[in-house]
Amino acid sequence: MSGNALLAYGFILPSLLVFAVFMFYPLLYTVYLSFFEWNMIKPVKAFVGWGNYIALLQDPLTYVVLKNTFAYIVILLLLNCAAPYILAFILSFVIRRGRDFYKSAFFLPSVISLVVGSILYLWILNPISGPVAIIAKFFGITIPVWSKTQGLVIGVLSIITTWKVFGYNFIVLFGGITGVPQEVIEAAKIDNVPLHRIFLDIVLPMSSATGVYIFIMTIVQGLQYVFTPIKVVTQGGPDNASSNAIYNVYQEGFTLYHTGYASAFAIVTMVLFVVLLLAEFKYVEKGIYYEN
Amino acid sequence: MRIDREAQWHILLGGALLLSLLPIAFAIANSFKELSEAYNNVFSLIPEHPTIGNYLLVFSRLPLGQITANTFMVALAATVFKTVTSALAAYAFVYFDFRGKNVLYFILISTIFIPFTVTMIPNYLTISQLGFRNNIIGVILPQLSDATGIFLIRQAMRTIPRSLIEAARIEQAGHLKILASIVLPLIRPAVVSTGIMFFINSWNEYVWPVLILKDKVNYTLPLALQLFISSEGGTDFTIAMAVSVITMIIPLVLYLIFQRYIISTFTSSGVKG
Amino acid sequence: MKEIVFENVSKAYGKTTVIEHLNLTIRPGERLILLGASGCGKSTTLRMIAGLEQITAGNLYMNGQRINDLASGERNVSMVFQNYALYPHMTVADNIVYGLKIQKLPKEEIGQRLQAAVDMLELNGLEGRKPRDLSGGQRQRVALARAVVKRSDVLLLDEPLSNLDAQLRVHARKELVKIHQTYRQTFVYVTHDQVEAMTVGNRIALLHEGQLQMLDTPANVYNRPANVFTARFIGSPSTNILAAHYADRALHIGRQAVRLPEFWSAFLGQKGCRDFYLGIRPEHIRLERDRTDNVFSGTVKYIEEYGNRCGIYLDIEDNELVAIGDKADAWPGKRVSFAIDAAKLHVFDKQTKENIGYPEVYNEPVYQYKSL
Repeated sequence: MSGNALLAYGFILPSLLVFAVFMFYPLLYTVYLSFFEWNMIKPVKAFVGWGNYIALLQDPLTYVVLKNTFAYIVILLLLNCAAPYILAFILSFVIRRGRDFYKSAFFLPSVISLVVGSILYLWILNPISGPVAIIAKFFGITIPVWSKTQGLVIGVLSIITTWKVFGYNFIVLFGGITGVPQEVIEAAKIDNVPLHRIFLDIVLPMSSATGVYIFIMTIVQGLQYVFTPIKVVTQGGPDNASSNAIYNVYQEGFTLYHTGYASAFAIVTMVLFVVLLLAEFKYVEKGIYYEN
Repeated sequence: MRIDREAQWHILLGGALLLSLLPIAFAIANSFKELSEAYNNVFSLIPEHPTIGNYLLVFSRLPLGQITANTFMVALAATVFKTVTSALAAYAFVYFDFRGKNVLYFILISTIFIPFTVTMIPNYLTISQLGFRNNIIGVILPQLSDATGIFLIRQAMRTIPRSLIEAARIEQAGHLKILASIVLPLIRPAVVSTGIMFFINSWNEYVWPVLILKDKVNYTLPLALQLFISSEGGTDFTIAMAVSVITMIIPLVLYLIFQRYIISTFTSSGVKG
Repeated sequence: MKEIVFENVSKAYGKTTVIEHLNLTIRPGERLILLGASGCGKSTTLRMIAGLEQITAGNLYMNGQRINDLASGERNVSMVFQNYALYPHMTVADNIVYGLKIQKLPKEEIGQRLQAAVDMLELNGLEGRKPRDLSGGQRQRVALARAVVKRSDVLLLDEPLSNLDAQLRVHARKELVKIHQTYRQTFVYVTHDQVEAMTVGNRIALLHEGQLQMLDTPANVYNRPANVFTARFIGSPSTNILAAHYADRALHIGRQAVRLPEFWSAFLGQKGCRDFYLGIRPEHIRLERDRTDNVFSGTVKYIEEYGNRCGIYLDIEDNELVAIGDKADAWPGKRVSFAIDAAKLHVFDKQTKENIGYPEVYNEPVYQYKSL
């Protein structure tokens, strides 16, 4: 038996080593770094205690970034969680033909680099020469220079990210919804339950395990995905209007070399995520229906 | 009556699909146009005077052969290592009972939720100390294992009836042999599609290479593509489209070949229990 | 109450035809059983009534109104699914009244109907439970309650008892009939179990490969099978079907022959029927201990124990035949004589395999045992 256990650890060891060196150690080291002032080059790190955290709380930029992060979360949840959820529902229970085609086609953009996505949308949404601007001009509308417009820039960068992430979320949600037996939907149809009620009363609660997973992934990974268009298109501008908690850490760490401060910000971001997830779990837990 | 309603949905879905796929078609079309034609006739999907001039220009400006080779090496190494380590770990989590199994699994899987900003500074320092900065080995190293891979392959392995493994155990087969000759062939679609996704994701990886790689000869494709971005849309836009096409062609082809596998793997990954 | 009429209805999935030219009238308030083996199209037929399957060709009427394209929810039918299709995240009570809430019925009305259904189906005390905390029998009753509270004119049941164990099934059968007697809805009931069909149905529609084989009362389906398929399908062990020949007032099976009574020879002579399939139920074959004249003989191959009686499998002229009899009379390898009840024969046309009919004596109210 113990020999077996040893073998089991042996099987896991390669993964565990990689995780230890590139995930767990860095996580702890970032916590450590967050208590120092350093620029990655100086031979000596100066211990500042909670200094970085206090500075972070006093920096007005922190609140701008958090506000943006929140805006990104709201938009991403609408476009990458709610929308694909509804689409998956329609494809599972409303439409009878073309299901496989739609699945393949909607997933397709998710295999393409976000840098490609950014460049494509930069051109499509170019306020002067882009296709959208040309069509808009035909109707007498001028497209604002969105990459320089506060507020709008977050929306456009979210759309670019959506183009990439939508398909994956859609497929996974589709899988979750497929777990709802056809007969249950039929029972509701016989009772003349309108489509939106079938979705809200039956499909949503019965697929909520997958739903919660995608909800969390939309927030946690969505914000990381947005990093690429921010970095590539706006570098957080104009005036930090498109920066989010992830990009700001990069900015502080690798552009300004505020290593300690960046570490503190990264830790705060992660803690905020964890709090958000716990709150989410606590709130949804009652309603979750797990199969089996 | 029901038919009509379905037709309405098809129109809606078709519209949404067009919005997401047209940009790709436009990119391919415009990469074969001359700049003047691209500006005058943005919407045409078939170039009037098709040219590969844009591609030739890109290759003359950048060591694109080397860059593509780099990208390929990184993606291949990541795919092989991730697939092997994930399959081994998944096997242990499914077919062994040992102390701390569930806790260990939970810890490994929860790393999916750790943002890269939390690990990137120490990882940057580690790679620098190892002397792999500005080197594709530095890009590869943190990509040797993958929690999502462990999750997906474990999900697939759990669909194999336990009795099959027990039958093999009775035949005195070793675990590595069982993994190689029974388990992997049975879950081939899941392993292949997980591998393809590793390859594609690594091919597209941007954040980490951008930190590590400095010289153009060492670049990967997404980094090279970034050179052609200017927020005004730029005068080089047909060239940028050519580089875009080069960057996305391999993932697209792989996806089109393996789409059935990939779709079914991710469909069945919908978390259950 | 509603009459349901299938007029030349066909259903195909792509190139596979599941139902072919079905003509069937379901009378208002009756309990009609759709019976058949799996894949015969009985569930598809039921689902077409429910509006869950589109009709490929033909017309479906409910009370004279063509309902081919009417949405499920507008047909005012209720349905019990084979796996019950309960909403797993709702309580028993919520499951039962969900449809009523959608209909926006007044609160008191909903409460009354819920209470009536809970009482009738003995679900008292389970109202707050979730389906996963119920036994199979309880789930089945919740599914029934949900169908019953709707007070629809048509109740569709798709193998409602097939997930229950044998004992519960007998109880549930009686309960179903009781429900029908309370509400007098039109029952359309799908099953593959002939005992269920016999005990629950007013009439049975037997389907095979998408075609209606026979539509009649349980007694007639059993005693007057319209064709070879029906004769074989109903009854256990199956009706014996043998290639037989009529000549010189005698019934020939292979080289053996026995004299037929006058009413049969007259009938067969009149029909001009010479080669046919003979149908005879196992219980209508009697092993003879002493008689040697005018009997068939065969070799015992195999004995199947039923407890009170046993099934005796015989080989006669390379045909297999099963008789119900006494174990003491037979053992494998034994050569036995047996007689056939002449008033229980069925004769089927060799080509069409349809029943050619019966001599007039069959219409006498009480059969006399007329040994050959």
